[in-house]
Amino acid sequence: MKWRKDDLEKYVQAKEYIDTILVPLVPFQLTNDADLGKNAFQQEVITIFANEIEQELSGRVLLIPSYLYLKDGDKAIEVERLNQWISETKNQPFKHSILLTFDSSWKKHEKELVGDLLWIPGVQTGDIHSKEMQEMIRDQVSQLSEIVRSYW
Amino acid sequence: MSEEKKQQVSRRQFLNYTLMGVGGFMAAGLLISPVRMAIDPVLKAAGGGDLANVGLAVDDITSDPQRVDWSVDQVDGWYESQVNRSAWVYKNDSDEVIAFSPVCKHLGCVVSWEGSDQYPNEFFCPCHDGRYYKDGVNVPGTPPLAPLDEYEMEIKDGMLFLGDPKPHREA
Repeated sequence: MKWRKDDLEKYVQAKEYIDTILVPLVPFQLTNDADLGKNAFQQEVITIFANEIEQELSGRVLLIPSYLYLKDGDKAIEVERLNQWISETKNQPFKHSILLTFDSSWKKHEKELVGDLLWIPGVQTGDIHSKEMQEMIRDQVSQLSEIVRSYW
Repeated sequence: MSEEKKQQVSRRQFLNYTLMGVGGFMAAGLLISPVRMAIDPVLKAAGGGDLANVGLAVDDITSDPQRVDWSVDQVDGWYESQVNRSAWVYKNDSDEVIAFSPVCKHLGCVVSWEGSDQYPNEFFCPCHDGRYYKDGVNVPGTPPLAPLDEYEMEIKDGMLFLGDPKPHREA
């Protein structure tokens, strides 16, 4: 289910079936010109990934709004804030929290996170509409859904 | 004087011409909409109407369901976007091509053919273990309450064209 009125109305009706929350972690910065394009591109791609995974598993997964943070901000603070997000979701019967990111800096803090971190390597740049990219994404999405399912 | 008069347009001729002219316009006016409708299919963009070529030849369809993916343009309120669609396609015992929508009728996950080793020869939904027989009918006692949707289908030049999902023929 996506973060949309229709889906959330459906969610409230079918709560007992939806036990997994999906959060894309999206860094933001406006300092380094050289990385701007790359960062924006990764944001686009992570959104596609999240949407596609949600589509595969929409009956059990709720995709919530992306978690945004400053790229060079203090990770310790971010970890704490992100954990607050996750504990907020525990107000509903969610058993699993999947955090989706391209940012490897989360990897170091994986143990402190309450949710399960899915770090996707690769995808630096490219044409989002190209056939190769779409095939690559489709491929990765089916593997990622597999990982999500292994948590269930 | 009278000869000169004869060369000029007589009253009768004048009336004839005018009536023919006006009548012609009226007839054209009446005809234009049926003609436009008659040639409308020619003016429409090529392709199987709303059905999309999914890039699968009918000869390549076997009795084992295979997944096909394609994309269609969709205008959705603010956005015109490409939407990815998938189907499970196979030939049934009477050699008919069947194309099921992979969207589970329970809560909309994507089902796969033999998605679980425990249930061979069935469609399986990974979210809540929903199951469907090969003919798309839901296995009683599993979460889904309706059979899988079937795609509108057309076969042209040996290629498979699929449209929108419609309720299962037995539903």
